[in-house]
Amino acid sequence: MILLTLAWRNLWRQARRTLITSSTIAFGLGLALVSVGLGDGAHNQMVRGGIRLGEGHLTVQRRGYLEAPANHVFLEDGTEVLRQVEAAGVPGRVAPRIFLQALISSANNALPGGLLGIDVADDPQVDALRPTLVEGAWLDVGDPRGLLIGRHMAERLKAKLGARIVVMAGVGGETESQLGRVRGIFSTGIDELDSFQVVASLAFGRRMLPARDGRQPLTRVAIFLEDDAQTPVWREKLAALPLPAEAQVLTWQEMLPQLVTFIAFDDAGNYIWLLFVLVMVTFGIINTILMSVLERTREFGMLRALGMKPARLLGLVLAETLLLAGVSIVEGWIIGGAGHWYLATYGLDLTSLSPDVLKTAGVMMDPLMKSELSPQRVAMLTGIVFGTTMVSGLYPALRASRVPPVRALQT
Amino acid sequence: MALVDARGLTKTYRQGDVDVPALRGVDLALEPGEFTALVGPSGSGKTTLLNLIGALDTPTDGTIHLNGTDLGAMGEAELADYRLLHVGFIFQAYNLIPVLSALENVEFVMVLQGRPRAECRRRARYYLERVGLAELAHRRPKALSGGQQQRVAVARALAAGPRLVLADEPTANLDSETAAGLLALMGELNHEEGVTFLFSTHDRRVMERARRIVRLRDGRIAEPDEGHGSHAVP
Repeated sequence: MILLTLAWRNLWRQARRTLITSSTIAFGLGLALVSVGLGDGAHNQMVRGGIRLGEGHLTVQRRGYLEAPANHVFLEDGTEVLRQVEAAGVPGRVAPRIFLQALISSANNALPGGLLGIDVADDPQVDALRPTLVEGAWLDVGDPRGLLIGRHMAERLKAKLGARIVVMAGVGGETESQLGRVRGIFSTGIDELDSFQVVASLAFGRRMLPARDGRQPLTRVAIFLEDDAQTPVWREKLAALPLPAEAQVLTWQEMLPQLVTFIAFDDAGNYIWLLFVLVMVTFGIINTILMSVLERTREFGMLRALGMKPARLLGLVLAETLLLAGVSIVEGWIIGGAGHWYLATYGLDLTSLSPDVLKTAGVMMDPLMKSELSPQRVAMLTGIVFGTTMVSGLYPALRASRVPPVRALQT
Repeated sequence: MALVDARGLTKTYRQGDVDVPALRGVDLALEPGEFTALVGPSGSGKTTLLNLIGALDTPTDGTIHLNGTDLGAMGEAELADYRLLHVGFIFQAYNLIPVLSALENVEFVMVLQGRPRAECRRRARYYLERVGLAELAHRRPKALSGGQQQRVAVARALAAGPRLVLADEPTANLDSETAAGLLALMGELNHEEGVTFLFSTHDRRVMERARRIVRLRDGRIAEPDEGHGSHAVP
């Protein structure tokens, strides 16, 4: 105990120097926590957006569709797939969908687009798109012809509320066309949606992709889980179902590889930057602890003379380093915690850079970035800073333990 | 059997390209309970001899036995244990640990020895009281005078229960009155505890208190003779 007392008091012999060093370490950790929190917050937001406005945490679609999307690639017995998935008891929402690449025509223009047929009462797209309506209203369940189009598409088609729109798509060598009316116009801020997507009821979509041999096709079944962490678990469960041979279960990572790659590269960039910060902090720590050791060469010689073994002396200096690490980490938690709290509560507003939503890796990103910091990230960063501090103290500690007592007493 | 038996001790230091002999074949035997002064001018080899006997350094040639054990046969760890268990040191510059109180400084060696906490505390208090500093137990060295610090050093050296106390110019940084008091205290403790004291000095007033004087000149023993006895502890 007295050795720990000695180590603690040694730390405060040069209080100003210790405070400067611990503050350096603390700011490094605090900066890392804030940076990682913002980064993770942005990434998580992008993932949530990509899942919410995309095809969910898991998707069951025809094998080969991901590599080469085409209207003729669909689940022939989509209803059976839907039945099995619903019967599996997935904790979340299950959304049958029809998606067709189509020609969208108005009285004034014709554009390529994508028809998305959904359950207009229950599909998660309702929650995602309804708030973005700028004109009109959401589709009624009993409305067989209702369509929603994006703001940019409306402008280019010169179509207003109530306008007639013809949707034409080729499916398996045959052309299907249906007439619809614009019930609402949305503006998500994502050009791909606002210029390209037409939303209709599942019934409208089924008229474009009619039943064959008593089997109702679907393009996909999208699954939205209540708990993101359950994605791999339910992927395995759904893959084990006796689904039709052509069906394939995909995770959101497989559906959004561009987003996954972007996050990986962004993370790597952040860690490289953090590495530079760590290197600078390391040199600062080594300098401080080494100075402290060199100043006490005579004292260490005296301790050796009294009978303290080199290993114990090494332990004493390492104990000082350990206590320094502890103090610095607590400081860092306070600094980083305060920064994280502020950014988690108020966010970092990047609206001045872009008033609309930011598009990155094909998904929506809110210009108001909020920090999200998980306990695992805090533990990892704390561990890195702690380990770096201890390693930095190793050389000075070894140096202290190796001074011959008689030579030290001569200084 | 002699407590310390040094034979043919030689120590040569290398300074650049030159070999500097600090000791040249010194023979010295110390009996248990001796209160002996090593005297000689600066550079005569006093500190070197103390360092060798205290196992802080190794001789270039010669042997040292402590209570029959050959120090030359010991490794570094064993020598550290030897110093920890059998030798007490009193340095010219006091060398107390500045961040520990007087009481904690006295306890320190006993803690290294692994004694139980209560025993360390009990013995530390006893020896601090014995050197007249019980009321200053919780003061740190910077709040103590030079004489008080050296008394704490004496208490630290003895509390650990050594057989031999080595003191290198223990009164060099003290005024004459304080030095005399310290020497008297060391003499009393030598008499009470039976611990062998070997201290180096070039101060005549200190020499007079020793019961035996060993003179060193140019790394050799000049005239081993007995002390005057008039200042010895009865």
